[in-house]
Amino acid sequence: MSEAINIGTINDIDEGEARVITAEENGTDADIAVFHAEDGNFYALDDTCTHETASLADGWIEGTEVECPVHSAKFCLKSGSVLCMPATLAARTHKIEVSGEDLLLYPSVSVLGA
Amino acid sequence: MSVESVLIIGGGLSGFTAAKELRARGFAGTLSIIDPEGLPYDRPPLSKDYLAGSQDAAGIALVPEDWYAENNVTLITGTATALDPDAGTVTLDDGSVLAADRLVLATGGRARRLSIPGGDLPGVLELRTKQDADTLRSLLGPGVHLAIVGAGLIGAETASSARGFGAEVTLIDPVQIPLVPAIGEVLATRLHAMHAEHQVRTLTGIPEEITQDAEGYRLRLSTGETVAADVVLVGIGITAATELAEAAGLDTDNGVLVDQRGATSHPRVFAVGDSARTRLADGTLLRRAEHWEHAMNAGSTAAAAILDQELPVHGASWFWSDRHGVHVEGVGAMHGEGEHVVRMLDGVPIAAFRLDSEGLMLGAAAIDGGLTVRAARRIIDRNIKVDVLALADPATPLKKLAR
Repeated sequence: MSEAINIGTINDIDEGEARVITAEENGTDADIAVFHAEDGNFYALDDTCTHETASLADGWIEGTEVECPVHSAKFCLKSGSVLCMPATLAARTHKIEVSGEDLLLYPSVSVLGA
Repeated sequence: MSVESVLIIGGGLSGFTAAKELRARGFAGTLSIIDPEGLPYDRPPLSKDYLAGSQDAAGIALVPEDWYAENNVTLITGTATALDPDAGTVTLDDGSVLAADRLVLATGGRARRLSIPGGDLPGVLELRTKQDADTLRSLLGPGVHLAIVGAGLIGAETASSARGFGAEVTLIDPVQIPLVPAIGEVLATRLHAMHAEHQVRTLTGIPEEITQDAEGYRLRLSTGETVAADVVLVGIGITAATELAEAAGLDTDNGVLVDQRGATSHPRVFAVGDSARTRLADGTLLRRAEHWEHAMNAGSTAAAAILDQELPVHGASWFWSDRHGVHVEGVGAMHGEGEHVVRMLDGVPIAAFRLDSEGLMLGAAAIDGGLTVRAARRIIDRNIKVDVLALADPATPLKKLAR
C-alpha cells in the first residue's frame, strides 16, 4: 500500500471544483484529479479521460459525477465507472482521506478495495 | 406481448446504444446486431485521430470485443436485404432469415455523391466508413494535392488532418463562411480563417465537372476556376438509408418516420439514428438529426420504448468538431431570430450565445470552451435567465451563471 500524500486542506478546493496532483507530485505514472463533489466529499480519479486526451479536473462536476469537458463522457466520482459514452473504460480511483482539515491522497490505492 | 427478442439492423452508435441500453435496462432476451462491418465502431475519429493514424481500429471500437459475449449480444456480420414487419423477419445477403419480436432499424446514412459529370469517377472519395478512412490515409503524404468538396465538419476536419501529412489542401464550398447556422457568424468566421492560417486554401464555388487524366483530377468550378488534385474527397452530407423500410412498406420521408418513442408506422419496428426522422403526433416532421449525441440518445429512447419503460429526457442538441488544434462545440440552435451575444478574449471571439426576446438562451457555441458549453447547456435546459453583460464578459465563468 502506497504512502499517503498530504495535498493540502479541505479549504483548498471549493465544492464543485477539482485540482490536479501531477504525476511528479503523486509519484505514479499519471496525473490525478482530486474532486470536491457536491455531496461535500472528496474523490480522486486519474485526471486523463479514458476516451481521449482531456483533463477531467477541467470537467463539469455535478452531484457525484464529472463530465469530460471535450466529448461529454461521464464518470462516477465514487467508483470511476462510466455513466455515459464515448468513454467505455472506467477511470482509475484513488483513495482520499480527510484527517482534520487535511486532505490525504493515497495514489494507486483503489477505493474499490481491489 | 412481452418482448423476448430484439434484432438491431446496423451497428453504428445508435444501434449499438439500443443494444447496450436494452441490457442496462434489464432486457434478458435474445439480442443481436447485424452489420456488414462487424464490430461496431465510433465514426467521429474517422476524419480526425483515426485518419491521422494516432488511433487504430481497436481504439475506435465502441466497446472492446469481449463486451458482446459478456452482455450476451450476438454480432452478425452481414447485410440485411429485406424485412417483413408482420412476420418480424429479416433476410440477410447470404439468404438466411432471422426473426425477432422487435426490429430496430439503425441503417444510418450514405455519403451524398456529387451529381455532376465526373462526380462518380473512380477515386472520387467519400468518408463514412473505416475503409474510406484507410483508403484516404493511404493516399495522403507530403505534397499530395487534396481537393475537398464541402467545408462542413467532415471537410474541415479532414483538411486539418491532411495538413498533418503535409498534403496541399484546397477546400471548396458554395458558401463563403460555412457553419454559420450551427455556431453563429462570428465564430464561424474565426474558424474559417483558421484554414488559411494553416495553409489550407479555401475557395468559394460549386464544382460543375470533374475530369481525370494522367496528371490527376481537375475540378471545374462555377467561378470558372479549375482546381488540380491528386485526390478528391466529397463531404457534402448524407442521405438517409431508407430502402429497407420503404420496401417493407413503412412510412418514410427523407428518413424512416418515427414517433417520439422511436416507433415506425409498424408497431414491431423501431428506427433510430441518422436514418430516422421524427413525426410528431400532429403530423409535423422534424428535421432529421445527424449528430453523434442524437444517435446515442435515439438508441437509448428506443430501448426504453421497446421495454415499455419511461422514456429518458434529452436536452438541447449538442455537437463538436476538432480541427487545426482547436475544439469547437455547439449546443441548442444558433440560427434564427434572437439576440446574439459574443464573448471576446483579447480581441478574439471565444463563445457566442443566442437569446430570445425574454432573455432565455436558445443556443451557444464556443471554441476551446468546454465548460462554457456545458454551462450553456444547463442554462438552456433549465430555462435559467442570464445577464447579457455577464455573458459577454470573459471574466465571468458561465458555470457561475448556471447555478
